[in-house]
Amino acid sequence: MESISFWKKYKNILFLILLIVAVAIWKPHAAIYGLQRGSLYALAGLPLSLTLGIVGIMNLSHGDFLSLGIYIVYMFSVNTGMDPLVSILPVFILLFLLGAGVYKLTITKVLKAGHLNQLLLTFGISMILLEVMNLIWTSRPRSVYVDYASSSVTVAGVRFGTYEFLYVVFAIAVLIGLQLFLKKTRLGQASFAVGQNPRGAKIVGINTSFVYLIVFGISVAILGIAAGVMVPRFAIFPSVGSSYTMKSFCLVAMAGLGNLTGILISGIALGVGEAIVQSIPGYAGWSDIVFFGVLIAVIMIRSIRRPSL
Amino acid sequence: MKIAKPLLILIVLAAAVLLPIVTEAYFISIAITILTFMTLALSWDMMLRTGQLSFGTAGFFGLGGYTGIIAAADFGVDPVIGIMLGGLVAGGIALILGMAILRLRGLYFAITTMALASVFMVIIRNLHRLTGGPSGKIVYNTLFNYDSNKVYWFMLAIAVGTVVISELFQRTRIHFAIDSIRADETVAKSHGVNIYKYLIFVFVVTSIIQGVIGATYALQYGFVYPESSFSPHYLLLPIAMALVGGIYSTIGPILGAIILGLSSEYLKLIMPYGHLVIYGVIIVVVVLFMPDGVYGAIKAFFMNRKRRLEER
Repeated sequence: MESISFWKKYKNILFLILLIVAVAIWKPHAAIYGLQRGSLYALAGLPLSLTLGIVGIMNLSHGDFLSLGIYIVYMFSVNTGMDPLVSILPVFILLFLLGAGVYKLTITKVLKAGHLNQLLLTFGISMILLEVMNLIWTSRPRSVYVDYASSSVTVAGVRFGTYEFLYVVFAIAVLIGLQLFLKKTRLGQASFAVGQNPRGAKIVGINTSFVYLIVFGISVAILGIAAGVMVPRFAIFPSVGSSYTMKSFCLVAMAGLGNLTGILISGIALGVGEAIVQSIPGYAGWSDIVFFGVLIAVIMIRSIRRPSL
Repeated sequence: MKIAKPLLILIVLAAAVLLPIVTEAYFISIAITILTFMTLALSWDMMLRTGQLSFGTAGFFGLGGYTGIIAAADFGVDPVIGIMLGGLVAGGIALILGMAILRLRGLYFAITTMALASVFMVIIRNLHRLTGGPSGKIVYNTLFNYDSNKVYWFMLAIAVGTVVISELFQRTRIHFAIDSIRADETVAKSHGVNIYKYLIFVFVVTSIIQGVIGATYALQYGFVYPESSFSPHYLLLPIAMALVGGIYSTIGPILGAIILGLSSEYLKLIMPYGHLVIYGVIIVVVVLFMPDGVYGAIKAFFMNRKRRLEER
């Protein structure tokens, strides 16, 4: 029994490691690049899984909060010379307050209104954020230079950036942090209960609206962490984070609701897949289709299995 | 009252047809834009009436545009035929995709349509030989050779056609099916409504409309370009317009398109960049505070007055 449950629990991780090793032998660049990129996708996808799983809201402005976080990190760096990685802490707090504020002002009013109003509302919020960023910072690309971000090493003839491994570190750290929060803290356990059964949680005396507020705030705040690690390596423009909404949703759909470890696994798997397509000469432009293709395929397969999706 | 309504419609129609005679070119170009978005808003609302929120408007708009341009540039067909082909291709693709994705509901349908619109763009950006890739494609024989009055009348005809289709959906037997699917699918199903068939029908019809509009829009300027043909504006603006006017009706999206279309021209003058933020604010405010839109508010006002008069 013990060995079977062990196998079940770590089956996916084992497959992932095998996949990466196989790809590493075939295309070492794609494996490393995919691992790094995929962790970043997971880092952005984890908070969406929280809002979807616990608050039950599909937040279409997810990616735009990420862009906003990136701009706030940029402003810290320009105005105070703060290192992007250090500014994660203030940005985390700022985005938490912003997320909680947006939740309190708007989203709490559509919680019971059905998915149509929720989607339209967050779509509207997404457009407001995007256009406000356009207004304040214009569409001119900006960047922040830090010397350690461009460091690279050469191992066995393969040259790759070392800074990007920070994505992996942060993704795993956030994953562990969230697991600890949900399992060990009182508030986290309450959130977990609300995610499983909001009515039941209410009956046993959990303040559900407070839990929703905190969870939404934390989800937006985690995007601040992603923003902090992204800034040194990314060109900054208003729609830089927009694509992460769909990518994150794709990961959640793949992993299933409430499966945080699955987000990291699917993120890395898709990152590697994307990197493989990118490494085929002449077909690099098709790599964007990997996520959307997988997303549509996953949704379709799930709908066939469970027709009342 | 019975004669007043058709008379009003006739007057509005006559005024719309005669518009190019009394105004100058600048206003006609605004009117063309308003008609474009009005048709998109109506088609989006027609799908919404079945309870399915589609984010694919811009996708089919772009597909139609590309089909029209490719037909005119590579096969040398007349732009009007190109526009018909645009509608046919959009409708055909919607039929094939609809058979799969209309089994999805709610959130999953919305997200899948959003993903599909992106997939269309990625495919078109990468089929370099056919579509010109990221740099787009131009065509020299534009629709009516830039004669904006003719383009206006053509657009008006499409818009009127869309209004008629929308009214048919509201008045004929099909509206029972559509409304019952939105209200309660299980009940609709148990009363023998073939939900799937009706959803596909509505999805294909609205996609044809979006394709036709996309092709008309592309062919009047004679170019397509991935980022602008699939621009989220063609999703955001119609949604904002339908919401402002009032969803689940024909008159709502029309009113919304006129209100927002005219005000956006003014906003563009005072706020050249980022006037789109207003549309985002409008969507949020309408969803939160005015779920029935302007038309709904007017209707509620008259209903209240009538009730008060009757009570007296």
